[in-house]
Amino acid sequence: MELTWGLMIVIYLFTAGLSAGAMVTSNFAFLYGGQEFERVSRFGAYISPFPISLGLGVLLLDLGSPFNFYRLFLTLQVRSPMSYGSWAILFFTFLSVIYLYLWLPENYQVLGLRNPQTWKKRLAKFMPVLSVGVASYTGVLLNAAVRPLWTAPLLPVLFLVSALSTGVASVILIAALSPWQRARHRELHLLTKADAILIILECLIILTMIVMGRTNSLSVSSAFSNLLIGPFAWIFWLLIVGLGLIIPLALELMELKDKIPVKWALPVTISSSFLVLFGGFFVRFVITYAGQWSGWFN
Amino acid sequence: MAVRMGFVIITSRCIDCDACMVACRAENDVPLGNKRNWVKSSGVQGQFPNVKEIFQPGNCMHCEHPPCVKVCPTGASQKRVDGIVIVENSKCIGCKYCIVACPYDARFPNPVTGKADKCTFCWQRLEQGLEPACVQTCLGKSRQAGDLNDPNSIVSKLIAKYPTRQLLKQVGTGPNIYYIDEAVPEIPQGE
Ligand code: SF4
Ligand code: SF4
Repeated sequence: MELTWGLMIVIYLFTAGLSAGAMVTSNFAFLYGGQEFERVSRFGAYISPFPISLGLGVLLLDLGSPFNFYRLFLTLQVRSPMSYGSWAILFFTFLSVIYLYLWLPENYQVLGLRNPQTWKKRLAKFMPVLSVGVASYTGVLLNAAVRPLWTAPLLPVLFLVSALSTGVASVILIAALSPWQRARHRELHLLTKADAILIILECLIILTMIVMGRTNSLSVSSAFSNLLIGPFAWIFWLLIVGLGLIIPLALELMELKDKIPVKWALPVTISSSFLVLFGGFFVRFVITYAGQWSGWFN
Repeated sequence: MAVRMGFVIITSRCIDCDACMVACRAENDVPLGNKRNWVKSSGVQGQFPNVKEIFQPGNCMHCEHPPCVKVCPTGASQKRVDGIVIVENSKCIGCKYCIVACPYDARFPNPVTGKADKCTFCWQRLEQGLEPACVQTCLGKSRQAGDLNDPNSIVSKLIAKYPTRQLLKQVGTGPNIYYIDEAVPEIPQGE
């Protein structure tokens, strides 16, 4: 079985989720965190437009007729997730750039909007809706292509939770790496807590999906076997469950309980958030590849 | 009643000569390495000396509820009023969504055109009153095509007379290829 959708699509699914997750992180930090979480909102806003732009570029390269891509935006096919998803992503990218602009230091805001704070608030209230749409759309996209593994009804939820988790992790990573504004302890503590909860949620969703899949028809359950014991098992168990979920979760729990010696704190924060991103990428990878690998039985 | 174009394929009459694949390639300029139609083998079944092998020709099923058409973001993939599922090349962006969405793997990305490619039911031949190239060329008369809603068509008569099966019915695509495995000594007359 040859693969029609390859790495480009994986990158697209991953980056769309990452951007949406970073956006939501920024929005919530801004709306509910106040002054104290200002840096979290700022980092989220600075990250958000970039991954998704990269994903869109990569997606364009993957098209058989890239110069025809404008056709996507001459129509809205309400039954095609790729059609309404492309519109959603277009708006998201556009608005995320505006949002970033509003977060720039004042002397960089050359356009002179009259009350940037009001606009910031409005956007921060609206963007989570759009972000949830963008993040779960990547799962609906696969749902609609009737392949045994992709019919899993929880796929959009899995992608959504994974998107939020990678979004939070990206903010943690940038906050930890930024030399001039080392995030304060309280910020990191809360973000780490949020991420740990999301990872636990993700584990539960994966578990439910496996149980639902294994008790489904022969085609679906054997598609899940490909994941669990078949050719994709090492990616699933080692790269996703081990490196992407269990280890970062363990590290985060230790951080939360202050079990990490001070001199190790920074490397541990950096590696746990990196591993979350790593795992999130391979979630998209394994679903995309194993989904095409397995077909229907008569 | 509306026209509903489809195929009847009689596996007992297929000798795996692959003439249909050659005819399709010649008629439709299908690039080497890709195919719009195929003949699949069941492999050798049973115990010696009672062994048999079934050949199952196929192509796009021109489904009643084609997922390929549903997912297409530009409206390039369409189901015509006569039931034939086609790709309008000028609208296709080559996103390959329809290709992953087809449960029968009946589509492929055409490396020459950059578009999704598939069986067109040889509609260019139908317009001239001819049969699809694969049907016309079939040595064993295993492949039959026509209007499934017309009781006087060959395909309808065959379906009325013999037990048939469809592929992956449970997926809900409503495939319009009906397979007959029984021996069919004579092909009925029809339009
Ligand atoms: S067989 Fe595949 S390509 Fe043909 S109509 Fe059905 S889903 Fe579409
Ligand atoms: S490859 Fe072409 S026909 Fe297929 S879904 Fe994409 S735009 Fe539509």
